Amino acid sequence: MSSKVILKHLLVIAGALAVSNSALADEQLNKAMASPKNWASQAGDNANHRYSELNQITSANVKDLQVAWTFSTGVLRGHEGGPLVVGDTMYVHSPFPNKVYAINLEDQSMRWKYEPRQDPGVIPVMCCDTVNRGVAYGDGKIILQQADTTLVALDMKTGKEVWKTKVGNPKVGESNTNAPHIFKNMVITGISGGEFGVRGRLTAHDLKTGKELWKAYSVGPDADMLMDPAKTMTWTNGKMAPVGKDSSLKTWSGDQWKIGGGTTWGWYSYDAATNLLYYGTGNPSTWNPSQRPGDNKWSMTIFARDLDTGKAKWVYQMTPHDEWDYDGVNEMILADIKVAGKPRKTLVHLDRNGFGYTLDRVTGELLVAEKFDPKVNWATHIDMKTGRPAVVDKYSTSLGGEDVNIKGICPAALGSKDQQPAAFSPKTGLFYVPTNHVCMDYEPYKVDFTAGQPYVGATVSMFPAPNSHGGMGNFIAWDAGTGKIVWSKPEKFSVWSGALATAGDVNFYGTLEGFIKAVDNNGKELWKFKTPSGIVGNVNTWEYKGKQYIGVLSGIGGWAGIGMAAGLTKPNEGLGAVGGYKELSNFTELGGVLTVFAIPGNVTVASAK
Amino acid sequence: MTCLSPRLASCTLLLLAIAAPMTAQAQEFPTSSRVEYVFECMKNHDSKYEYLYKCSCAIDAIAKQLSFDDYAELSTAKRHQGLGGERGAEFRDPTLVKQMVRKYQQVEQVAANACFIQ
Repeated sequence: MSSKVILKHLLVIAGALAVSNSALADEQLNKAMASPKNWASQAGDNANHRYSELNQITSANVKDLQVAWTFSTGVLRGHEGGPLVVGDTMYVHSPFPNKVYAINLEDQSMRWKYEPRQDPGVIPVMCCDTVNRGVAYGDGKIILQQADTTLVALDMKTGKEVWKTKVGNPKVGESNTNAPHIFKNMVITGISGGEFGVRGRLTAHDLKTGKELWKAYSVGPDADMLMDPAKTMTWTNGKMAPVGKDSSLKTWSGDQWKIGGGTTWGWYSYDAATNLLYYGTGNPSTWNPSQRPGDNKWSMTIFARDLDTGKAKWVYQMTPHDEWDYDGVNEMILADIKVAGKPRKTLVHLDRNGFGYTLDRVTGELLVAEKFDPKVNWATHIDMKTGRPAVVDKYSTSLGGEDVNIKGICPAALGSKDQQPAAFSPKTGLFYVPTNHVCMDYEPYKVDFTAGQPYVGATVSMFPAPNSHGGMGNFIAWDAGTGKIVWSKPEKFSVWSGALATAGDVNFYGTLEGFIKAVDNNGKELWKFKTPSGIVGNVNTWEYKGKQYIGVLSGIGGWAGIGMAAGLTKPNEGLGAVGGYKELSNFTELGGVLTVFAIPGNVTVASAK
Repeated sequence: MTCLSPRLASCTLLLLAIAAPMTAQAQEFPTSSRVEYVFECMKNHDSKYEYLYKCSCAIDAIAKQLSFDDYAELSTAKRHQGLGGERGAEFRDPTLVKQMVRKYQQVEQVAANACFIQ
């Protein structure tokens, strides 16, 4: 046996070891997730269902909910995401500076607190408030993705740092708002900065050490995107076909892909049956479409990747050549539902662009694409053969060109729905979706690129959807099998809180007035409670010592407060992207508050009739 | 119905019941939301003790003018005028929200005038 052969053998063995290692599931997380008493990941499961089997709180007794306890994070500004509950401990996070608290559920005392030292220099490159969407749990660790792109693992018992790594560089406009996700023994994280010409990507890290295992860009050369021109498939003329060579490069002018956006700040999901990881990519940079001719692939795209290798299995671009900032990052919900009468393994995605997409999550085939807000007007429909939107000329900001104000586009840049995640109830087969009901005027203008500086290039003005109920939001039930709205509950303001569905036939969401609301499966409001601030967090539920609890973070802020946090005095210094600065309103709240509800006394499932 | 009997108290109650629409509206405000208003209002006036009375007076005066849901919506519109960024546009841009803010300012002014609030 020559040394060459030995080496080859060794490599094969090493390769086999690496594969078996990466195929290991995290037993702790799997075990925790299997019990509805815990809320062990941000969505409660890997499929992004935001559904709980707990049924102590029902449509009959939900009206009896009272505040059980509260916890203040001491931080102002928007509180997105929600707490995790594992056993007798809750893990709560805050916006920048991204504190993490471990709370003993027995007496709400603090087990530990972690406050990272972060360079506030990252704040001016955060486009849309200094939010953070929460922590992840697995392998005895709590994983935090800090704003300054540091990914850190904390010992869940002590809060001490186990490992730390950087996934980006704030000096070139990169930051993070996404929650890290743990699938098997890997931590998956993304990047924000689409308004700064950042080149989006997803990275996978070893849960034990933080070591980067793979990195997959959204745009650029095939090798960078971990794309196989012959094997990565996409919907083409009514069937799946290989994407072909340089599928991204061909859709950009020159080197523009290098600052092409396609950031990855949403919610990811994972299907163990196929080992596929799903997520969406954001807008192409800039917002001025005239400056970046072409489809700008693969921005605005649903990606399915093999978790172990990162290789792209299939892709589907929803909004080619974006002209409205309709980021495609919203959650990918994996649901087994009937489509056209047949049971399918689907991926359901309610996009910012106002269309609800249902795809076969194994193959990537496009099954359904319908408007989930009837006011959506930028496209008449999705051509089911090509998968492309039929764009209406008069709402095309690209056709209009620079310095032309295109009026009455629905939805607004915020989308018919932003990142606030929907819930899926396997019990009803329906999706409960928090939505925006807002339209806009959009005027693109020419902008030059400087690393670390805003790269926006459009002025936007928003208003409630005309000829409707006058409000700016709806909470809807969506049938993804048929692409139909089942019911729609109007709200005065956009609904920016994540929903929760439960086996108790009661569904929850929060409003900007600060109400947490409970509705039955028909959309009838059963209960509401005014928390101290607007709700942009996600409603979660768990059980402790035999009692079911409901919790939600309230606290909304915006750029107005950023100047203060950064120690800035000039009004425009804290600004990232669009919008003007207004005087800070009088905040008297003690920062974000987690309000926890339960039904007093002994409640048994049987008591609900 | 006559009110000549010695049962004056019950008679008064009946009269109050007739005047119910306004009363019902006022009752509709959860105590917690009234207390919250008073806390915030006191804080905005250097936490002076006399503002316990003035701010309580003010929220009662507001509750006489608005339903609780309207109060929640209008006060939210005003509070988030300072919300920046893309999201803040929802509160900055629409005429509807501007009208809501003006309406709430008027309501608060009426309350301030009625309660010696400066």
